[in-house]
Amino acid sequence: MSLEEFTKNIIETDLLVIGGGTAGCPLAAKAAEQGLSVLMVEKSNTERSGNIAHGIDGYGVFPHGISIQELIPMWSERMTKRNQGAGRNVDENIDYMIFKNEWWAVEELERMGIPMKWDDGDYYWTPHMIHGKGLKLGLRVHWHDVKPKMARMCAERGVKTLNRVMIIDILTHNGAVSGATAFNTRTGEFILIKARAIAMATGMYCRLFDPETPLIWKYKMRYHYNPATCSGDGWAAAYRAGAGLAHMDDASWALRIRDDITNSYGNFVNNDGILAKQYYWNGKPASPYHANTYVGNREAEGLGLTPIYQSLENLPDDFQKRLEVNFLDERMVSLKLAADRGFNPRSHRYEMMSYKPLQMMMVQGISVDEHFQSRHLKGLFAVGDCAAGVGGAYGACTSGLIVGAEIDKYISGAAEPVLNEEKINESYERAYAPTKVKDGTEPMEMESAVRFICERYIGSFKSEGKLLEGIRRFNSLKREFLPELMAPNPHYQMRALEVKNIMELAELHLHGCLNRKETRGNYVRLDYPEVDNSRIDRLTINRIENGVPIAEKFLVPALKPEYVEALKQL
Amino acid sequence: MNEHYEEKFQFPFWEMIKKRAEEKDISYSDAAAEVCPEYCATIRYRDEEWTDAQIENREAEGIAEVQDSNREVIAKRQAGK
Repeated sequence: MSLEEFTKNIIETDLLVIGGGTAGCPLAAKAAEQGLSVLMVEKSNTERSGNIAHGIDGYGVFPHGISIQELIPMWSERMTKRNQGAGRNVDENIDYMIFKNEWWAVEELERMGIPMKWDDGDYYWTPHMIHGKGLKLGLRVHWHDVKPKMARMCAERGVKTLNRVMIIDILTHNGAVSGATAFNTRTGEFILIKARAIAMATGMYCRLFDPETPLIWKYKMRYHYNPATCSGDGWAAAYRAGAGLAHMDDASWALRIRDDITNSYGNFVNNDGILAKQYYWNGKPASPYHANTYVGNREAEGLGLTPIYQSLENLPDDFQKRLEVNFLDERMVSLKLAADRGFNPRSHRYEMMSYKPLQMMMVQGISVDEHFQSRHLKGLFAVGDCAAGVGGAYGACTSGLIVGAEIDKYISGAAEPVLNEEKINESYERAYAPTKVKDGTEPMEMESAVRFICERYIGSFKSEGKLLEGIRRFNSLKREFLPELMAPNPHYQMRALEVKNIMELAELHLHGCLNRKETRGNYVRLDYPEVDNSRIDRLTINRIENGVPIAEKFLVPALKPEYVEALKQL
Repeated sequence: MNEHYEEKFQFPFWEMIKKRAEEKDISYSDAAAEVCPEYCATIRYRDEEWTDAQIENREAEGIAEVQDSNREVIAKRQAGK
């Protein structure tokens, strides 16, 4: 069967960028500047897609006023130790690469038309709340309309962007990527892409547990901090193609806010250094232990002290005005919603959700080295939240720009892409099977069932019995209802594929939790309360080798000697 | 608890954005881009001494969350190292 028999829409490109968000756009633009032909494929629309679709108010943590040597362990402590516990949880070489190139990335973004300075023309450094005064590591930005600017910078550089197109599978040939299958989520058209390299920039995987708030229709505008599109498509596609996924057995630190209206993931005036106060339901001040840790919150629940709330009461008027500007930069519509709904940030108490399981962690994702190349699949690069160990707008933009600048070296030596018809056929069947089902299971029904199983049987506090029951129910769902997943139109087809990706990743998480018999950081096995020392400095990598799913303990690299030396020279 | 909820608040900033959008028949996004620098000019962003004092006041209430490695770095800075 020739390729043309599958579809007339066959596209050839040097570089395929999957995901047009915070990392994908800078990557695509920079790669295009190197003279490469770049195709960027986005499930929604790059003008308002990704984690900063609505905007963001803070960029970075920077080595500003401190050295990279000081920042690496500090950031590791902040981002991973409090969640993952003792041991080295992220590749420090990735941190090194990002922090070393951060200033260059700022200059590149400014050159491309992305504003990084404050209204008075100078940079505005903020005292990030957990660093305290004296350390100003964050760059405050006005980015409420940054996505249209990023979309424009790509268009200006000749990036070909396909909006409303979802990637189905990555195709490989002789152990390297060679292209992808995709379909148009509006027309249902099947698309084949030949590419010498692929950069995965699809962000985090989020739709595993129940959502944080019970909001209805127009207020259900997002799933906590991430856009509703974050179903782990990139991770699942990479896994199926042979790439390794890191930390799939891990749990997340919960975002702080369960409230209806928020502009950030907790600690609103975070970027101005002021902490919110925390109260029990009875109005008494809550201890940080009860408010900020899973086990503490569980204790508070048992004592009848929950819900716990955060508050910005009794702040100077100046900080309340800063909060309004934060609202604009992070999520302008929040201003309108808050005004419509009857909400006063000067007196509102925001319910917190420390008890809630959440699958969104910086340490998780496609396992990559410090050049953001997959450790297991040649020609696959992963950036931003999609890559294990990379996080934040600063991480996304910097890693994207680094790959955009350097990927021509890989591409110049890459083989002519060859697409395998058998794999194309498999991919087509996977994506289009639901379109042939009548009176079947709706994708959102299926997703609700998966999220219920994960919330109830994995949750924050795991144990063998619950996990085994979760696996049993999950297998039942797969056996009885997955074949009946239906998609009466292309939009449902997208949702059906998303659910399949969510389920694939949920299964890795379920089995991973069953196999991981320890308690460390926010990962709690009630039946194994001690740390498993054999896992210190190691993480689990899941991948498929010769058709067999395997899970291996991977020693997390420490900072390489040559980088340690290089830091001494800086 | 009820005193903390369901009280409509008219955000001055949002009122300014809406008014500018209506006056010039432009989008809220474009209006926000115009109004934002004007509003920010009324905020003491560059008064670091005052801002730091407010942060200190908050820390003095015992709810600061500065982590240990940060304290070491801060201490070194203060010692002029």
